[in-house]
Amino acid sequence: MNTQQLALIKKDIRSITSNKQVLMVMLMVPLALTIVLPSVIVFVTVLVPESTADFQRLLNMLPVTAGEHNQKQMILGLVLNNIMPAFFLMIPIMASSVMAASSFVGEKEKHTLETLLYSPLSLKQLFQSKILAGFSVGMMVSYISFAAMMLVLEMEMLFLTGNGIMPDMNWLVIMLLIAPAISLVAIAVTVRGSAKAQTIEEAQQRAVFLIFPILALVIGQFTGIILVNSGLLLGLGIVLVVLDLVLMRGAAGKFTYEKLLK
Amino acid sequence: MSAVLAENLSKIYVGGNKAVDSISFRLEKGEIFGFLGPNGAGKTTTIKLLCGMLAPSGGSCRVFGIDPAQNPEKLHQMSGVITEHAQMYDHLSGMDNLIFYGTLFGMSKSDCEKRAETLLARLNLADAKNQKLSAYSTGMRQRLSLARAMMHSPEILFLDEPTSGLDPESAQNVNTLIQELASDGTTIFLCTHQLRYAQEICTTYGLMNKGRLFATGNIGKLRSMVSDKVKVRVKASHIPEDMEYEKAGEHTYEISVNSEDEIPLIVKRIVGVGGDIYQVLTEQLSLEEIYFSLIDRNHAEMECGNI
Repeated sequence: MNTQQLALIKKDIRSITSNKQVLMVMLMVPLALTIVLPSVIVFVTVLVPESTADFQRLLNMLPVTAGEHNQKQMILGLVLNNIMPAFFLMIPIMASSVMAASSFVGEKEKHTLETLLYSPLSLKQLFQSKILAGFSVGMMVSYISFAAMMLVLEMEMLFLTGNGIMPDMNWLVIMLLIAPAISLVAIAVTVRGSAKAQTIEEAQQRAVFLIFPILALVIGQFTGIILVNSGLLLGLGIVLVVLDLVLMRGAAGKFTYEKLLK
Repeated sequence: MSAVLAENLSKIYVGGNKAVDSISFRLEKGEIFGFLGPNGAGKTTTIKLLCGMLAPSGGSCRVFGIDPAQNPEKLHQMSGVITEHAQMYDHLSGMDNLIFYGTLFGMSKSDCEKRAETLLARLNLADAKNQKLSAYSTGMRQRLSLARAMMHSPEILFLDEPTSGLDPESAQNVNTLIQELASDGTTIFLCTHQLRYAQEICTTYGLMNKGRLFATGNIGKLRSMVSDKVKVRVKASHIPEDMEYEKAGEHTYEISVNSEDEIPLIVKRIVGVGGDIYQVLTEQLSLEEIYFSLIDRNHAEMECGNI
């Protein structure tokens, strides 16, 4: 990475933060998924009158031992560590694809891409810089969202139940493996389509398809077909890393000046 | 080494459109080359071929010995380009845009700032340097584009309509700047429709039509392609009866000569027959007249060729 590439990455990040419309899209989804949704679950679980039999039936179906935790604590732990991870994965997908679409097709739309192409950066260096810009923003949004979610949840739990709540190993796999890997997949899919796409929306639409496997995970989780655990997440992470390697290798070779200027 | 060398350079787009058809020319360092032709003649395609944005379908080109298709990054380091679609960032100020592009060319931030200050002042944009580009008028954007292309002091500038959208004063200012750059050794490849400005600043010309470069050379050479004659307009009380002329008004006569050397003889003959001379003007064909004449002739030749 040279200073020219760093300048391009900084400029791309600044472009996003100065565009209120794009910034709002990038903030609304994490806000809904990491603050509003978990808070609603916490409040409903804690404040709705207990129906012990229902909770107990649910707990009996899951591979958890009651120990000395109370039921509500266990339910909330289950929501945080088994249900929220699937929802959370939408954040790196959304943030990275919005950023990638904006920095590739957005430049094309605003006629600034051609000016970049006349710079002494090679196409490979431009490609790397754009990917890194998307990846940095995707990861920044994901880590800040996770920190904000944990902070709000801890405060709500302490206030409502007097006990804290801790993320388990699932989150470690999510934050260190799956979120970066899925972010790169989203960028690669968006970027691969960006040579042909003429508008930001068109480029972003391609990454929307990545939401479907996540939705399948959420539905599977709720219907009891799949249980999110560290093993499953680790497997998913490895698949995504392999997918990254294949997609990135293919994407870099797709670009020529002529194709980009079409 | 020539600044630009094109040999049988061709570009056929997917679909079969032959945008550039086997053109050959050579430019020397410090020349201001006026690349003229109607819309769709292939001028912008030629610039893109010379900048490495397009791969030639045939022939070859070299810019300071570099093959643009093989080594575009090296060429970009020593060239500056202005085209209609090479815009800058609306959310950045004029100054920040220049600093950003300067950094892309490997300049330090302090060097970028110094160079940007100089260029902004030279292009009358110093007062607007901290304004966001979204607040710039078309003319201001165009001048900033020129500053951007000059940030890294390139050896060659490819300018596609650099004065479009500029008021006459700004256009004059830009043209003076282009001349100054050329006198410092920068080679200028200038595409323009503004023939009057082109005649003021260009040292050589290339005329394109439908992908073909049908005339090259300095204005004298182009003029001789249209007509070998020089028109002399004389205002006199009377002229010798045996002199060939066309009456252009009361006591005003147009006389065709082969060269300016014949003018003193004409004057002597008029004085010899007792005529009083009030005015003698040499009328040479302007670039505009040459352009239209050659373009019309080229159209006619192409039509004949098609028949």
